Amino acid sequence: MLTDLLERLSSIDGPSGYERDVIECMRKEAGMIPGVFTEVDILGNFIVRKEGKGKKIALFAHADEIGFVLTRREEGNYWRFSTIGGIDPKAIISQRLKIYTRDGDIAWGIVGMIEPHLQTDEGREKVPSLDDLFLDVVEGGERVNTGDIGVFSSKPFSLSEKYFTGKALDNRASCATLLYTLELLNNFTSKSDLFFVFNIREEDGSPGAKTSAYRLKPDLSIVLDVTHGDISIPSMPKIETGKGPALGVGPVIDYGYLEKLKNLADKISVSYQLEPINGRSGTDTDLIQITRGGIPTLLLSLPLRYMHTPYEVVNIRDIEETARLLSYFLARGGE
Amino acid sequence: MYLKELTELSGVSGYEKRVREFIKDKIKDRVSHIEEDVLGNLIARKEGKTDKRIMLCAHMDEVGFIVSNIEDDGKLCIMPLGGIDPKVVVGKRVTVGEKEIPGVIGYKAIHLQRGDVYTPPKMDEIRVDIGVTKKSDAEGKVRIGDFVAFSVESMVHGDWFSGKALDNRGGCSILIDIINNNIELYYDTYFVFSVQEELGLRGAGISAEKINPDFSIVVETTTSGDNPEFSSYRRSTELGKGPAITFAHSGYVIDERLFKWIIDTAKEHNIPYQIKRRTAGGTDARRIATTLAGIPSAVISIPARYIHSPMSVLNLEDYNNTLRLISILLTKEVQL
Repeated sequence: MLTDLLERLSSIDGPSGYERDVIECMRKEAGMIPGVFTEVDILGNFIVRKEGKGKKIALFAHADEIGFVLTRREEGNYWRFSTIGGIDPKAIISQRLKIYTRDGDIAWGIVGMIEPHLQTDEGREKVPSLDDLFLDVVEGGERVNTGDIGVFSSKPFSLSEKYFTGKALDNRASCATLLYTLELLNNFTSKSDLFFVFNIREEDGSPGAKTSAYRLKPDLSIVLDVTHGDISIPSMPKIETGKGPALGVGPVIDYGYLEKLKNLADKISVSYQLEPINGRSGTDTDLIQITRGGIPTLLLSLPLRYMHTPYEVVNIRDIEETARLLSYFLARGGE
Repeated sequence: MYLKELTELSGVSGYEKRVREFIKDKIKDRVSHIEEDVLGNLIARKEGKTDKRIMLCAHMDEVGFIVSNIEDDGKLCIMPLGGIDPKVVVGKRVTVGEKEIPGVIGYKAIHLQRGDVYTPPKMDEIRVDIGVTKKSDAEGKVRIGDFVAFSVESMVHGDWFSGKALDNRGGCSILIDIINNNIELYYDTYFVFSVQEELGLRGAGISAEKINPDFSIVVETTTSGDNPEFSSYRRSTELGKGPAITFAHSGYVIDERLFKWIIDTAKEHNIPYQIKRRTAGGTDARRIATTLAGIPSAVISIPARYIHSPMSVLNLEDYNNTLRLISILLTKEVQL
């Protein structure tokens, strides 16, 4: 079941630079798929190879998530912290963070607030900046240190029959899509030589994807990520959940491959949406394209609500349909 | 102690049924009389050595929301029930209505916010997402008027406890403990688990009127502000320093005789205590004190952090000391 897979992937913690548990989880998931070779490279990227005769195609989904790092101890067991990746302070207030101590133990902290009864008029009108937030380490206060890593502790769950919610669905929803694509590919004889890369550190500026792309030097790269769903952005088409993947279009996308992908989608009746990209996409695509002599790239994004909050929301059918489109596209050798 | 169970129940003001049923189940065989009134207050009685009556009161309700509208895209508009800072609602899991439909409160992603990152959201722009895209689909699951409660798993962390609704399931848990501990009560003791405190102390007065006690003690969970962002002179209590005794709060100066009695008893039995240093916020004591011809009242609270948010914290030593102090008081007589 796809929701079970999403639940497992969302429950694992792995902020940028600390993806080890996520990679281990991927390795287990991929281990159940027959006919593939797996490898973890020196940086920690996890690569699943499915050999075939034809074009070398690499698919990328970053495995890391946003997170926190403890910076300074205050009075008692209060700590200041900083974020890994961009996080809205409003989404951090009143959350319980899970902290991984240097010794591998778990500690727990509550991001506090001032009770409304005690707030000043001034404080009421303003959201505290990240510097002014504080973490109340209620368990393991004596074991934590500067540099310890924290994550949201929200547990994933099915919001309805169609929607799933949890933390880190940016980008575990894409990781799940790739694993599901691998499963679907068992029904085909693939006409391409495939590398599924679960790369590290996207929220940290893409060094994971860049180095893997350099090593593999594929004929085509396909990046899977998430995009803002169900929200209007001025002068942009509204990308909606439940309407299929958003295909990036713009300078960072290979026009020829995009046409082929769109034609195929029409042929096998997968709905898709077009997402214009003004220059850079903010995904691993941007760096992969300009790696090692240049690599043609495609970007498929799953529409997702409330990005970088403890409860991101995705549509299950979007994942299924994206995997279906990809499996056909790959089996046909990128045609 | 039923803190974990009690704090995981949904019991928004006006929708306290689940909490009431839980408490009733835990105490019904340990009291001589139990009843519910028309508003939903739960009243239990245990006899003491005299006919004089004391009323102990802890409110069951927690702050939350009510569904005020269902949008065309299936999102729910909500209005607060009780004082909730809009800064604490983003990125939270909630439960909607009797059917306990799960939902989340999302918000525009940080990437799409421009100058408004540091502007508190307005309650009327907050939406609950129950995983539908059409109004008709939402209407199959929820209705206007349904309650919306935060949904948080509570945790015990050694001497500390974190979860939602500590205000005032903390007080409820203490009253249940007292009932179950079979203390030798001095007074004819009425335990009132009141409703709608967060909406302006609306429940307790009805019970006080009916019981007509000689005096009353309200058991609460209160604010602290003992954190690095808050100057120490503004703090109301500190965690780990024992029960907080109120001398005055919004709308009521605590009966001096009761105030002194509580402090003398704490001293006599070497129970740590602290005087609550701020007067902001009121409790059921204000309502009870002005009921009938006037009922002398006092307030004893477990100090807590971040109350009225989905993630509050208390210290279990404080809990135990609060329980101890009240348990001793109940065996004694006070001169009024």
